[in-house]
Amino acid sequence: MKIRPKIWNSFGGRSFVILLLCVFFLLLGGCQTSAEPASQASGAGQDLFESNCMSCHTIGAGALVGPDLEGVLERRDREWLAEFIRVPDQIILSGDPIAMEMLAEFNNVEMPNLGLSESDVEALLVFLESSGDIELVAEAPLPPGDIYRGEAIFAGGNALEKGGTPCIACHSVDNIGFLSGGVLGPDLTKVYTRYGEAGLAAAIKNIAFPTMRDVYVEKDLSDQEVADLLAYFADVDTGGKEDTASGASTIFWGVGLLGAAALFGFMLLFWSQQKESLSDRLRKDAGITSRRHS
Amino acid sequence: MDVRTHMSMIFHLDKCIGCHTCSVACKNLWTDRKGAEYMWWNNVETRPGTGYPTQWENQEHFRGGWEKKKGKLDLKLHSRLEGIFKLFYNPSLPDLRDYYEPFTFDYQNLFNSPKKNVQPIAEPISMITGDPIDIETGPNWDDDLGGSNIYAKNDLNLEGLPQEVREQMNELERLVFNYLPRICNHCLNPACVAACPSGAIYKRDEDGVVLVNENDCRAWRMCVAACPYKKVYYNWNTGKSEKCILCFPRMETGQAPACAHSCVGRIRYMGVLLYDADQIPKAAEVSDDELIAAHREMILDPFDPKVIAAAKENGIGDDWIESAQNSPAYKFVKEWEIALPLHPEFRTMVMMYYIPPLSPVVSVTEKSLFRLDLMQEDYDFELFDRLDAARLPIKYLANLFSAGDEGIIRTVLRKLLAVRIYMRRKTVHGKVDSVSRKTLAEAGLTEEQAIDMYKMTTLPTMEERFVFPNYHREMSIEAMLDPLTHKGEVGLGYIQQPKRGE
Repeated sequence: MKIRPKIWNSFGGRSFVILLLCVFFLLLGGCQTSAEPASQASGAGQDLFESNCMSCHTIGAGALVGPDLEGVLERRDREWLAEFIRVPDQIILSGDPIAMEMLAEFNNVEMPNLGLSESDVEALLVFLESSGDIELVAEAPLPPGDIYRGEAIFAGGNALEKGGTPCIACHSVDNIGFLSGGVLGPDLTKVYTRYGEAGLAAAIKNIAFPTMRDVYVEKDLSDQEVADLLAYFADVDTGGKEDTASGASTIFWGVGLLGAAALFGFMLLFWSQQKESLSDRLRKDAGITSRRHS
Repeated sequence: MDVRTHMSMIFHLDKCIGCHTCSVACKNLWTDRKGAEYMWWNNVETRPGTGYPTQWENQEHFRGGWEKKKGKLDLKLHSRLEGIFKLFYNPSLPDLRDYYEPFTFDYQNLFNSPKKNVQPIAEPISMITGDPIDIETGPNWDDDLGGSNIYAKNDLNLEGLPQEVREQMNELERLVFNYLPRICNHCLNPACVAACPSGAIYKRDEDGVVLVNENDCRAWRMCVAACPYKKVYYNWNTGKSEKCILCFPRMETGQAPACAHSCVGRIRYMGVLLYDADQIPKAAEVSDDELIAAHREMILDPFDPKVIAAAKENGIGDDWIESAQNSPAYKFVKEWEIALPLHPEFRTMVMMYYIPPLSPVVSVTEKSLFRLDLMQEDYDFELFDRLDAARLPIKYLANLFSAGDEGIIRTVLRKLLAVRIYMRRKTVHGKVDSVSRKTLAEAGLTEEQAIDMYKMTTLPTMEERFVFPNYHREMSIEAMLDPLTHKGEVGLGYIQQPKRGE
């Protein structure tokens, strides 16, 4: 019995097609990394405040990204507040009137779900109630920032000092890099307007978003890096268009699906030449048509 | 000289009646499990036929065994580099259709069927999907189907036979078949071990049993393709490969493997063979016509003082040496030289041996039946002198057992016939005449040997057929773990369940 050399029958041809497919799917998979939700460290209310809230809120120093929390317990119902701190996303989704009003007031920046437990929330509320007595450390002013360095930091051209992941891995801004950056995190083209300079600085310096916090734990950005990023964000904010990355990802998916279709089409050419089962072949040669496979 | 021990099985094909008791015993004991339904670690094939899996000997298709590439022995399956490229897709694997889709019957329907105008039937259902199927093939689908134009006609061992002989073998009154029981050959140069990318298959030191370590198996299935006898099977449920374990738990307790123990024809013998591991590479690389001679040379004489000394130096105990001296395997393979390896040309150096069958000739003495073109005078000698007239062509047996060398088969068959003639004279005629003595001498046997062969073939006791040394498992176990670890446990089921991916 002789085996005719065919591309699909030769190990090289078959392996090559399969290798191509593997590489394709690996590339596809690589773009969609995900991070585990943060696990909460419980601690005293102040620690919780400093690690979770301070990036957007102050106590008595005016509104930042979110409202000033001085005397918040006098303004809001305690139970509502506890619920809002615990699951702000759900409250906003439910169309709660107070939440909607605040959302409009604060540039449509939603408070992220920080994944706090009920006991954490209780500790925070206790801290907020007594916050009049506690002094929070004042932030030092930032050094002047450089737009180009900021862009390089965002795009990963300049490595972050402590080895943090560059922003582009998850975020996009208008007109940067291949396909305008990642799509896991929100588009940051207009982030400067949304957060305001002080709010954005605090948000980057003291990262509280649950997804980001784990990525940057012990890899916080230096003041200079924050300043450079701020300068860059301020710059793209003035000229850029939002959501260019999602357009790019449509192209990406389109190319991917088309590529896959082309590969499968290519494989279809060899489909009929698959190795036949020997027993099927014997039966066929003897003139017995298979009931199952015909 | 690197003397080692091996448990070998001898199949006396003349005695096999093709009852499949061995297969059923094995199935009940080892492969009556989910994922193992299609496996027959022991199977019995009708020859000429295509066997199980269908045409397993077709190495152009399944690429099992070894071949010489540039003068060096290499896996026929692939080189190392090719192996890497083919890791995720191995095109030489047999698929389920090459084995068969295991089935059972819906017997409950016979009892529970609603009232109908027709008899209820037990419909065949697939043991894999549970759906009704049309059975198209089975592990012994061509059982007793000598001359079938699908199976017998496609036996690859018919290669080299003249066309008219091949056609004769399909004629109703001339067709002929015999049986070939097969288990894992527990080779000395196992292709499955060589092909395993995970290093999960190994050969046991004390008795040479080739085993798959289910903890290390990663389901690459290279062993399934590389084994030229297709005796490694993939369990689709556990995601591990499995194979015949030569019933080592039984051998360790002095019992014959289930297939051998249950054999109603008592065709199977087991015993220790001493072999020289240093000679394996040489014996596996010689040209086809020297394979059997090199193989026999590798088996050592357990009575030779030099061999005994070398064995003791290798740590082989006295009881194993004594067992090798009493071994029926040694007598058949080396002393009488009538047992041959199956397909030595695959070069895996198999350690299970077959005594080729004499043809079914006796029926031709009846005058009314079709009589072969044989001499009329004395039917005792009709075959001894004219082996070419045997109904099973010598070439066919040679393709099975001696890599095509008809001379070896002739020698073996003449020995078998000479013993038969000699003993018939002795027991039926009451005295041995000079002609039968001359026949014996021509076949290369002494009278004592003939009597020994006769006794070992026809009258052996259980203890003579199965000679097992004491395994001293307690000593090997003590070296590794507390011997009382499993004391009081029932000894059934898994100590550790095989788990996919682990």
